[in-house]
Amino acid sequence: MRAGPVLSVRDASRHYISGDSVVRALDGVSFDINPGEVVGILGPSGSGKSTLLLIAGLLEPPTAGEVFIRGRCVSSVGADLDSLRDFRRDNIGFVFQKANLIPFLSAVENVALALEIDDVPSRPARAYAEHLLESVDLTHRIDNLPTRLSGGEQQRVAVARALANDPALILADEPTAALDSVRGRQVIGLFRQIADTRQAAVAVVTHDPRVLDLFDRTMELRDGRIVAETPLSTDGNKSLQNATAAQDHSQ
Amino acid sequence: MNLGLKDVRHNLGRFTMTAAGVAFLVTASIGMIGLYRGIVADALLVIERIGADLWVVQGGRSGPFSESSAIASGMDRRVAGVAGVAIVRRFVQISQQFEHAGQSRRASLTGLDYPLDNGAWVPLVAGRHLKSGHFEAIADKSIGLALGERVRLGLDDFTIVGLTTGMVDMSGDGLLFVTVNDAASIAQRRTSEEVLLARSAAGRSNQGSLSSSSVAQDSKIAAALVTLHPAADVVTVRRAIMAWGDANVLSRAEQQSLLLDQRLWRLRIQILAFTAVLLVVMAIVISLIIYMLTMEKRHQIAMLKLIGARNRVIVLMIAEQAYLIGAGGLALGLVLANIIFPYFPRRVVIDPADIALLGVAMALICGFASLLGISRALKVRAQEVLS
Repeated sequence: MRAGPVLSVRDASRHYISGDSVVRALDGVSFDINPGEVVGILGPSGSGKSTLLLIAGLLEPPTAGEVFIRGRCVSSVGADLDSLRDFRRDNIGFVFQKANLIPFLSAVENVALALEIDDVPSRPARAYAEHLLESVDLTHRIDNLPTRLSGGEQQRVAVARALANDPALILADEPTAALDSVRGRQVIGLFRQIADTRQAAVAVVTHDPRVLDLFDRTMELRDGRIVAETPLSTDGNKSLQNATAAQDHSQ
Repeated sequence: MNLGLKDVRHNLGRFTMTAAGVAFLVTASIGMIGLYRGIVADALLVIERIGADLWVVQGGRSGPFSESSAIASGMDRRVAGVAGVAIVRRFVQISQQFEHAGQSRRASLTGLDYPLDNGAWVPLVAGRHLKSGHFEAIADKSIGLALGERVRLGLDDFTIVGLTTGMVDMSGDGLLFVTVNDAASIAQRRTSEEVLLARSAAGRSNQGSLSSSSVAQDSKIAAALVTLHPAADVVTVRRAIMAWGDANVLSRAEQQSLLLDQRLWRLRIQILAFTAVLLVVMAIVISLIIYMLTMEKRHQIAMLKLIGARNRVIVLMIAEQAYLIGAGGLALGLVLANIIFPYFPRRVVIDPADIALLGVAMALICGFASLLGISRALKVRAQEVLS
């Protein structure tokens, strides 16, 4: 088990200049996410959820504050994030509303690509990609192109891809928005499993009320600030069982 | 994982169409270069094949391929008397238009100094070389005459005894070989009215013969072709002939230079300029294609960056596709050129060295096009995947 939080954000702000005014997309946000924890980030549109994800994912530098991943300060004001591409590859997995699969690669190739980019030889990369797809119940779809997969299947391929490099942190931005409630719960259930089995920290930006019970805790953002934090869920395991049951039922 | 190749395989129809578009530009470039090579080859064909060491032409002139040249009818015998000269042949070449089988034909009538020269240097594809001093002809296939056919030239009928292919003059007219005497006779053809008027004029002035024409008749012999003894000194022979004053002497290299650097200079520059324009157009088109392909892939490139792909992966994907389009276009263009150009009325020479140069040009163009696409791709930010 990893000691200490996987992700620590300290006083992170992101301000944009728009004409004469300053837009505070994120305004002094601090939080931690521990290993094995699934955290929901909630809030209305424009509250700063996606900006927070970009900063935590080392895709945007904060205009103030710092981001620590596994205790290492990796991003602060003016950080050269392009130089952190290797670090990002090894430590962070991303899942988005759209699966964003490469359209000319099959499901297994999409997953294996993430490994080959990390210099894993193609044979073991493919073998591990098949294993990952098996873990998200897509064994029968490994050679299908994205256009031959349903939305839920595409999203599961995206999850498998995010897991390819065994990242300590998984960041998901509205991963259930394009899915029905059953498939939405399946995806969050998958994150729950990943957090439990791999001790990964998972942050999910969502405003899908159907999946809130699957999070360990939630943070609510408004106008770039955290305005509410719910405590650890007490019936998380029960909810996971429900999600898994829904997954089994759909199959 | 070879992303460029996988994308090509996934969008094979589209890439094939793109390569086909480039192929047509390549075909046009091969055509322009080939036309240039063809014109040069046609222009030099007689000079290179006829095997003369020196060309004795009209004094103060640059020979029959540059301007009109007529030497005295006895010039060949004078030249033969110069020490070091082994063989002298008379040379005549006249553009001729004639009727055959109800159609108007054009040919470049070229004299062979029979029996010294029966046309053995002319490569035949059918029939034989000349065996008679009169009324036999060797024709290039492009004139449209068949072996054994009889054709009326001047006042006489000639039998086609041999056929050649690709033997044309610099304007593209097929060569029709007859003996020098026959060629001079055909060239001196005149109408009855001309003869009558000439006789009348001769009567008034009490000058000239009854066979003279009212049209001033120069000698039709354009040059004397000199083959030297192996041990002969070219400079001495040349000096001896030049000393006569009524003759000029040109080497084979000088003839070639006169043709290429003076007579055909403008045409060569024009064709090369067109080729350059085509290459520029090709560069622009390929660059735009690669740029558009890159723009279409912005989302995928952003995704690749997001999952940590190094720039090398993205650069390779774009460059590979640019080179695949270029190589496909070049190969397809070459195939098209080999299919289409043999049907063109003028010779189009597809020279392997030119194709290799075109390949290098394509490689540079694809490199340039890749750079455009790559520079755009490297500006794509990973977070664009969210857009």
